Parts: sequence; structure tokens; C-alpha cells
Amino acid sequence: MTAPQVGDELPPRTIDSVSVERMKTMAVVLDDPNPIHLDPAAAKALGLGDRVINQGPTGVGYLLDMLAAAFPGATVRKVELRFLANVLAGDKVVAAGRVAAVEDDEVTCELWLDVEGGPRAISGRGALILGGS
Amino acid sequence: MAVPGLENLPGRELPAGSFTIDAVENADLATVLEGPPPGGDEAHPLWAYIATQRGIDISVAELCALADFDVADGPMLGSTELTYGGPLKVGVDYEVKGEILDIVRKEGQSGTFDILTFRERLLDAEGAEAAAATNTFILPRRPA
Repeated sequence: MTAPQVGDELPPRTIDSVSVERMKTMAVVLDDPNPIHLDPAAAKALGLGDRVINQGPTGVGYLLDMLAAAFPGATVRKVELRFLANVLAGDKVVAAGRVAAVEDDEVTCELWLDVEGGPRAISGRGALILGGS
Repeated sequence: MAVPGLENLPGRELPAGSFTIDAVENADLATVLEGPPPGGDEAHPLWAYIATQRGIDISVAELCALADFDVADGPMLGSTELTYGGPLKVGVDYEVKGEILDIVRKEGQSGTFDILTFRERLLDAEGAEAAAATNTFILPRRPA
């Protein structure tokens, strides 16, 4: 994207099916053995449904990758995100955004991660510096 | 509303640690995110969250215990704010420092819960802030 304008929609990034195997890898990367991400019985015991729950930071990563693809060569300066709902194994999720402000070489975007047919999982804003650090 | 017994928690420093982003784990993260493979020595920006959490010398369970909360009761990540001094690098040793910023008690439809806010920072060899993560945990207080 060149010369971003306020209101521009960012190209969405879709994960067709959140993978149980990738949650296991993420548990190692995060060094977080919380069983709600690994064992459906653990999620069920806490009243969180019958599927394992994707790690919240993974959704942040989907949004960061969506931003990087929308603004090649830009450097992320800040993201502020609220976690609103869980993403479950097998869910299809879409990371998307819209340009909210442009000031010199800094672009601020509204960001969100939606579960297809379900709730908004993450909402917030991100700011980037165009053209590198 | 302040949390009875925890009035002195805000401002408490967390035990400092260190962290080095590993190239293999950086590639694993790209696989998890179904994103492009990493190039060069630049680390994925999500490491601002991961490296602070792993590098600070206190576990999530111990952090919850400071707030008089049992991690088995299910803390929830409420929000995160990640800030960057520039791109993070693979193979660089970062010092990790942190502190508790706030804890407040709220009443909601599901009952009483506390919001614990803490900030952790990655510092480079010159002491400059490479990145910081300000996170909130939602701590549901079960009836006794």
C-alpha cells in the first residue's frame, strides 16, 4: 500500500482453521503449559467449551503479520489491543484493519480479529513508521 | 477501587532477568502464525510480548501469587500494549525489567474481579528500551 489515506481498508489476513498442532508449538514458544491450550478436557472442566483455546498472543501475531503485509518495509511502533473473546481450535479467523490517521510518516490503524460466524476476539489500534525505522 | 490488602502492590519491581531470541524459535513462531519465513536477523515483533514474559525472572503463577491469586483459578489476558524502539533482533541478549503498575477491583455481571496491570521491558546492551509490554490480567475472585 502506498500513500495511505484515512479510511483505507487493509487487506485482511485469514486463517482458515486454527490448528491444534500449532497451539502445541506455540505453548513451547511461549513456555506456557496451560492445559486449556492443549487438552480439551481441561477447557471443558473450566466451563470454556469442548475445544482447546488458541493462545491470545497468537491473535496478536495474526494482526502484526496483517500489518506487515499491508505496509511492506514499515516498522511497527506500537499496538494496543483488548482481548474480547476466545478463539477455539478449528475456528476460521480474519485479521483486518482500517487506516485511522496519517501524520507525516506515521500511520495509525484500527485493528480487529474476528471469528467467522462468531464474536470479535481482539480489538484495538496499531501505529507504524513507513519506510523502516 | 483499591484491593484490600494489596494497596502496596502498585510500584513493586519484578525480579529482573534476561532473554535472547532464538533463531529456531523465531522460525517456529512464523510457522504457528502461518506467516512468511523470517529473513535475516530480524525477529517477529510478537517477541516483545513473548520475550518479556519469558525473560522476566518470575513465572505467571508467581506473578498471580503476588496479587493473592491462584493461577489454577484461571487468570485471563485482558489487554496488551506493545511498544518498540525499533526492530527486535535474533541472537541479541536483552535485559528484562518489570514492575506492577496497578491493581483495581471491579464488579461485573459474572462477579468480582481484579485487573492487574504490569509492565515489562526489553533493554539492549546500552540500556536503551528495545520494546515494552504493558499487560493486564483479569483475576476472577471466586466466592470463598
